[in-house]
Amino acid sequence: MATVTAPAPRLALPGVLRHRAAHKLLLLALAAAILVPLANAHWASGSWPQALTVDLSGPLGRANDWIIDNRDSSPLFLYFFGYISNAVVLSVRAVYLVLLAAGWAGVTAFGALVAWRVAGIRLAIGTGVAFLACGLLGMWVPTMQTLALMVVAVLTSVVVGALLGLAGGLSERTDRALRPVLDTMQVLPAFAYLLPVVLVFGIGVPAAVLATVVYAAPPMARLTTLGLRNADPEVLEAVDSLGATGRQRLLTARLPLARKQLLLGLNQTIMMALSMAVIASVIGAGGLGDRVYQALASVDVGAALAAGIPIVLLAVVLDRVTAAAGEQTDESAGEPGSTLRPWLYALGATVAVAVVVRLAGALDWPSGWTLNIAEPVNRVVDWMTAHLYSGVPYLGGTADWAGHFTTWVLDPVRDGLQWLPWWSVLLIVAALAWVIGTWRTALTAVLAMAAIGVLGVWKPSLDTLSQVLAAVAVTLVLGFATGIAAARSDRVERALRPVLDVCQTMPQFVYLIPVVALFGVGRAPAVAAAVVYALPAVVRITTQGLRQVDPAALESARSLGATSAQQLRQIQLPLARPALLLAVNQGVVLVLAVVIIGGLVGGGALGYDAVFGLAQGDLATGLVAGAAIVCLGLMLDRVTQPTERRTKKGA
Amino acid sequence: MSTLSTPNGLDEPGSSATTSMSTGASGNPVFSVDGLWKVFGPKADQVPADPELTALDAAELHTRTGCTAAVRDVSFDVRKGEVFVVMGLSGSGKSTLVRCLTRLIEPTAGTIAIDGEDVRAMDKSRLRELRRHRAAMVFQHFGLLPHRTVLDNVAYGLEIQGIGKAERRRRAAEVVTKVGLEGMEQRRPGQLSGGQRQRVGLARALAVDPQVLLFDEPFSALDPLIRRDMQEEVVRLHREEGRTMVFITHDLNEALKLGDRIALMRDGRIVQLGTPEEIVGSPADDYVREFVRDVPRADVMTVRTAMRPGDCGASEHPGALAADAVVAEAIKVVSRSGKPACVVEDGHCLGVVDHARLLDVVAGAELADTGKGAV
Repeated sequence: MATVTAPAPRLALPGVLRHRAAHKLLLLALAAAILVPLANAHWASGSWPQALTVDLSGPLGRANDWIIDNRDSSPLFLYFFGYISNAVVLSVRAVYLVLLAAGWAGVTAFGALVAWRVAGIRLAIGTGVAFLACGLLGMWVPTMQTLALMVVAVLTSVVVGALLGLAGGLSERTDRALRPVLDTMQVLPAFAYLLPVVLVFGIGVPAAVLATVVYAAPPMARLTTLGLRNADPEVLEAVDSLGATGRQRLLTARLPLARKQLLLGLNQTIMMALSMAVIASVIGAGGLGDRVYQALASVDVGAALAAGIPIVLLAVVLDRVTAAAGEQTDESAGEPGSTLRPWLYALGATVAVAVVVRLAGALDWPSGWTLNIAEPVNRVVDWMTAHLYSGVPYLGGTADWAGHFTTWVLDPVRDGLQWLPWWSVLLIVAALAWVIGTWRTALTAVLAMAAIGVLGVWKPSLDTLSQVLAAVAVTLVLGFATGIAAARSDRVERALRPVLDVCQTMPQFVYLIPVVALFGVGRAPAVAAAVVYALPAVVRITTQGLRQVDPAALESARSLGATSAQQLRQIQLPLARPALLLAVNQGVVLVLAVVIIGGLVGGGALGYDAVFGLAQGDLATGLVAGAAIVCLGLMLDRVTQPTERRTKKGA
Repeated sequence: MSTLSTPNGLDEPGSSATTSMSTGASGNPVFSVDGLWKVFGPKADQVPADPELTALDAAELHTRTGCTAAVRDVSFDVRKGEVFVVMGLSGSGKSTLVRCLTRLIEPTAGTIAIDGEDVRAMDKSRLRELRRHRAAMVFQHFGLLPHRTVLDNVAYGLEIQGIGKAERRRRAAEVVTKVGLEGMEQRRPGQLSGGQRQRVGLARALAVDPQVLLFDEPFSALDPLIRRDMQEEVVRLHREEGRTMVFITHDLNEALKLGDRIALMRDGRIVQLGTPEEIVGSPADDYVREFVRDVPRADVMTVRTAMRPGDCGASEHPGALAADAVVAEAIKVVSRSGKPACVVEDGHCLGVVDHARLLDVVAGAELADTGKGAV
């Protein structure tokens, strides 16, 4: 008994204080106790103090005017941006003409043959059907416009991304410099990329393509670097031990070993490019995205759906085919000589089909073959508006739900955030980021949040933030519940998998269509779209995290007689903590991206400012909103960024 | 200062731990390593030069300088045609040591010579030439290229040398047959078992026809039965080709089975270097003694050690054992005849073993007068 008390003096501290999180919070509270009275004395106000803002609209407006005035005279534009712009326009035009020359039959045949070579007969049929469906919906020309833009953007992204990735993979220093930039680019909402590009290139195809490239190149760069760096060190050592030169090492070992990551990079780049090519309709991309954008502007759900379905089909086909290319095992990868010939056959067959159809005079999609789904869909939507929006006995109605959600959740959260003194918002951000991550992430988060205040968009940003918080809360509740269910039952997982697969490939923009159909326009639909968009990723990460828990730990718990609830609470959830934190992080990033786009359907706040700036040519407003979006994205990512992710990157 | 002399004669009167030193100088060594250091960490190159730091043990060195000395002042010669085994537990520096030989890891201090040529002074192209033609390595986890067939993996070293496709495939096919993989040329490494994969690794090293084969724990990742097969494969190859081999292992039995000589490493130093018999028969210190305690001595010790030296005087030699026969064989002969047996070399009787001496060897007791002096 006596021995127990012996080491008492050191352990006498209350248990709470020895916890690291408590330490951090205590330190923060100390800093706050000194700083807050000071700040309060100087700038006592609930909202961000006026004295601390910098009005950028003047200088930005002047910069915009200068660019417009000098676009045709300044050498910078004449000899640099002008060439880029022309090259982009020409190449998109060229690809578009080739696609038109091939005709609907040629393009369909080529797509199906490529899919057949890469992924087998089933996907080939799927690809053919998807292309035909695009034509059937009367969307052949917009589909080709989008495809032409995609081809140019994806090729450029892949080249740029692969070169950056190669540099990062071969040089440690370049990698260290590139990595934080690429990491940050990946968490920013797509919308944030549009405005700077428009500032330089104006609205049109070049801006759309370049925004797409900037958005889609990072995954290629990241995965190329990852593939080059993750090569089995012993294989590389064996290659060295045989006296390989640097070039031999790269060409015969490192690149072939990175094949899987390179193809995954291609896959992700294509998916990001499609997603962005659709959003870029806001800055003049044309094509399918433009049809959806125009239809949503007039709340014409039928027309939006007619253009949305081809987008989804295109996304699913592109994803499956490129993913299948990546999944080809090493065994089936044949000799380079033997793979060239089937490609030539495919090309020959395409030309043959195109020529036949041209001779038959059916180069354009036959007008009699189109199916107008807009009207029937709109009739359904009208019926829904009449019968489901409100007044359904006991259940209320979708519009009622949206209304209630706005009144009882969104409004209080927004008002609460805006009521909070500005310094307390900063404190909360600091505390959260520091407890979850490191002091570095906390510092970045606080600075980003403060920057929002300085930009003078404190109130709309908090409005956006309130939507993000509400959407994240809903997403996490639904996502964790579904994820746990899927992790515990193979049947649920099997049933969910195809749904998740399709959901994860769809561009963000498409989610707005059904939401508008169900809930009309406003903040609640934007939140709903965000939830639907972020849910699949959260469910998937949660399920994977729970399933990857060490089976030995679970078995030992079972052998001690733990109930399944105990297993979940005491083993699975604690051990899957990193995965759950990652799910939160991903959820926040994805939700923000869609909440911003929600500006198009009445989400208001920052997203609306950005769209308004673009639509009215008021780039100053748009750019400030864009910068605030970037800051908000940075802040939300850093606040939810677990320490593990940081340390893993350091290794 | 050579590590070899450090443990010598401290608690082992009459020990012969360093006899190999004297013989080592006579042959023409393939590899000659002297005073080799490999230190990892900041300002690593200052450690070997500073006598104060070299005196520290691993933990103290790390706290003082943040450096880890993986190889400390190691010297040895690898003779032509021998199997030189470097043995030690994990973390003893043996894998670092073998990588220093071809500068896959750059040594910090000391000299390495291959056939008298200074390896550390080689420029890039000379070093590539060394790796391409003179020393090839077999790795613990095989290090095969997963996207290539067995044949192309084996031919890889030749491809690196710039040999044409037809020629390198022809030569690779020969080696594939030699290691017993015929019929599997078109498979990929992923379709092979662990033992087969290591045969591919071995074939890849053999295909470039190197002067020295370096093995880095090649069989540690294999099942015991497969491991025994592969060990026998190495013994067979060595018997057939007489190629010089440097073999890294943490498995004492493997070391005793394969090694002509064994260097036993601990904390980056060689604590003892000698034939298997010397290591087992006269351990240099308590660490080695503890290490070899469970070795069946009758299978390692030779009758040369066990015999009482001196001619038996008779013209006929009952039992007539060869000098390098192991004690286990002598026990069979002596117990069958019930009489002491003679140890014969070149028709001369070197000495006599009786059951008392044999039992002493097996029990690990000190022998009153060893035969070593007569060698």
